Amino acid sequence: MEEKRSTLGQVQDCLALYNAAVVGMRPEENLGLAHLLQLLNSCFGEAYRAKEEGRPLAWINFGIPSEIFWAMDIVPVVVDVLAGLVAPTILGSIATGYIDIAQEHFPDYICANNKVLLGAVLSGEMSAPDVFVHPANPCDSNLATYPVIAQHSNFPYFCVDMPYFKNERGVQYVANELKRLIAFLEEKTNRKLDFDRLRQAMEYSNLAHEYFLKTAVLREAVPCPYSSIDVWAEYPAVLCMAGRPELVDYFKMRYEMTKEKVAKGEGGIASGQEKYRVVWIYGAPAFDILIFLWLENEYGAVAVGNMNSNFVMKPVEDISDYDKIMTGLAKKTMLMPMTRECGGPWEDYLDPTIELLRRYKADLAVFGGNVGCKASWAIIKMVKDKISDELGIPTLVLEMDLFDPRIASSDYIKDQFAKIFETVLKR
Amino acid sequence: MTILEELTNISSSLPNSAINEWKAEGKKVVGFLCTYMPEEILYSADILPVRLRAPKCAETTSADVYMSHLTCTFMRSCLQLFLEGKFAFLDGLAFTNSCDVVRRLYDNLREIKPSDFHFLHFITVPHKVNEELVIWYKDELNEFAENIKRAFGVEITESRLREAIGVYNETRRLLRELYELRKRASPPISGAETMNVVMAGSSLPKDRYNQMLEKLLDELRKREGISNYRARLMIAGSGGCDNPDYLGVMEDLGGLVVTDSLCFGSRYFWEPVDTRGDLMLNLARAYLNRPSCPRMVENVGNRGDFMKRLVDDFKVDGVVFQRIRYCDLWGGQLLYTKKDLKESDIPLLILEREYVMRDVGQLRTRVQAFLETIER
Repeated sequence: MEEKRSTLGQVQDCLALYNAAVVGMRPEENLGLAHLLQLLNSCFGEAYRAKEEGRPLAWINFGIPSEIFWAMDIVPVVVDVLAGLVAPTILGSIATGYIDIAQEHFPDYICANNKVLLGAVLSGEMSAPDVFVHPANPCDSNLATYPVIAQHSNFPYFCVDMPYFKNERGVQYVANELKRLIAFLEEKTNRKLDFDRLRQAMEYSNLAHEYFLKTAVLREAVPCPYSSIDVWAEYPAVLCMAGRPELVDYFKMRYEMTKEKVAKGEGGIASGQEKYRVVWIYGAPAFDILIFLWLENEYGAVAVGNMNSNFVMKPVEDISDYDKIMTGLAKKTMLMPMTRECGGPWEDYLDPTIELLRRYKADLAVFGGNVGCKASWAIIKMVKDKISDELGIPTLVLEMDLFDPRIASSDYIKDQFAKIFETVLKR
Repeated sequence: MTILEELTNISSSLPNSAINEWKAEGKKVVGFLCTYMPEEILYSADILPVRLRAPKCAETTSADVYMSHLTCTFMRSCLQLFLEGKFAFLDGLAFTNSCDVVRRLYDNLREIKPSDFHFLHFITVPHKVNEELVIWYKDELNEFAENIKRAFGVEITESRLREAIGVYNETRRLLRELYELRKRASPPISGAETMNVVMAGSSLPKDRYNQMLEKLLDELRKREGISNYRARLMIAGSGGCDNPDYLGVMEDLGGLVVTDSLCFGSRYFWEPVDTRGDLMLNLARAYLNRPSCPRMVENVGNRGDFMKRLVDDFKVDGVVFQRIRYCDLWGGQLLYTKKDLKESDIPLLILEREYVMRDVGQLRTRVQAFLETIER
């Protein structure tokens, strides 16, 4: 009998196909994206080989600082990135198979991001982690899923709790939780955290972050020096690779390329093609990121920003001692995109969103509303109204599932865009 | 009017006669969500805590505009009643981060401002329990108390707080006594009636409620028990299960609900609070350690143990696990509960529902089939 391909193996297959499908279309324009895909491939490759190399494997959820894991030589798999990478229909919609398995046991309305992981676990294709770590924010869907998976499959489990308010008291709360996390990791993996390695991981993380912030300023240019997919694709790399020197190399290269493009007045897509600047204020369809290309080609609509790549927090300023690093990482963790927007008062969604739209001179806000995300759907009317009042631009609200095309298909989404570009935004 | 009828009247609407009488004395009322909010603090300041519910809500058209159709109908129903002005009697709101939709209801209320709330407060409740987090939560409660004092110009003294905890412990003791009667082979009270009794307590001053409970228990001790049932049921699952008619459907078919694992039921009152020593610390510890909702991440197995203990103690024949659509937390818990109850040979019926009771025909069919498989 043919052995089933493991989930981590399938992720690598997907990355290779991605490279062929997306970068292959316009290789000369996609040097940055090719580099990003290589980074992800190398990261998931390490995860794939971790067991045979005797390295502990951790499943982590976005918001958990990967720097700590790299410093301890524990290989982190960011489960949300994994879900996104196996979602595309052009790669065979592996995610929907996992979602179907999950829904035999779980309600359909739980976020598909979580259902993909559950399905992968129940399918037996996902090798067990040595530790499973997630933050309490941003949502109930995580709280509903991860502890139950851990209990069901007997995985060593740790939740980094987070308070509702992102004030100084809250930062100390999370910093203490991170210290408890490290004690947990040391106990479960038999590896001690070496301070020098942590500081080095923080140096890499800070450098990458600084280049990211400088590039984000350059991305404000008109035309935008990034393509839509470039903007979208950096989020997973940051989640997986913060603390690694390879991420510094990427962002350094990207900063230099972008500076040059801006100096020449070049856009991320073919010259003169940028007609509309779009900002995705939640997620985008991970099952079909080619929609970005369609929007560029059909309407000259460039996705110049999105919530998930809106890393506006500062790097960890002081890395001179352990406590200061924990405090800095706690701040960063609480302000991680999505955690920030969905895990606190609604102003934490609204304010960065308004700023993002303003900063990138958006003509259109797009709420790619994941049907499983109650925390965003419950306030989108208020957010949309404020965007209209303060910036005078429309918000396209799409009811969809980021990982599952069966809720809203690519054709449906394109149709919604066509309606708005051909009416409200017609030029 | 019997005491049970009086309690049923109070349970079935907000505001109700008890709240109106309280307000007529010029006293304040604060609405709150959810059971992780220690009411004793408000009570000790002579403020009536009223747990938010949406009895008599018929539809959620206006609330859907704000919270979309993709969120739980319990919270949408509450918002609907706010938008209809039904909560205009409230002087303030106290919320916790119980779940995503509870906190988003708070956000919507702050922005829409359906009433001129004199007092707004939000408490962070940790998602797990250890001594450091208990102390952190205690600080949250101290801040809450300070804010109440400032906003209402009241005193919260240690002796008043101790007295309030004592009154609430008495409520807990009396409700436990009520549940003890349900362990009988012929319980003197149905599940629907019990729900009315417990719900009435969510908007009554507890000293008055305790007196009513004493009378009720006297009446029940003399009442003939119910023996013509087909099976003894336990109801468990999502919050927002506060409608006695829902249990009434099951009981009309011959099931008898003899206990529950609900935040509108046993989990609300099961354990007392220590009245010795540091009272805020006691409140923090007791509330964090109560039989939990799945928002508490480290208690997946404990929730199962609590349910199984009730099954044994109340001689339950089958568990009805209801989850309100779009309730992530209880939806997730089911993965464990299904396996756990199956391993213990406890029959389980899973029902999805909306807060506003519809699809009664479907409910009847499912319950009827379940009763046929488990009846004695």
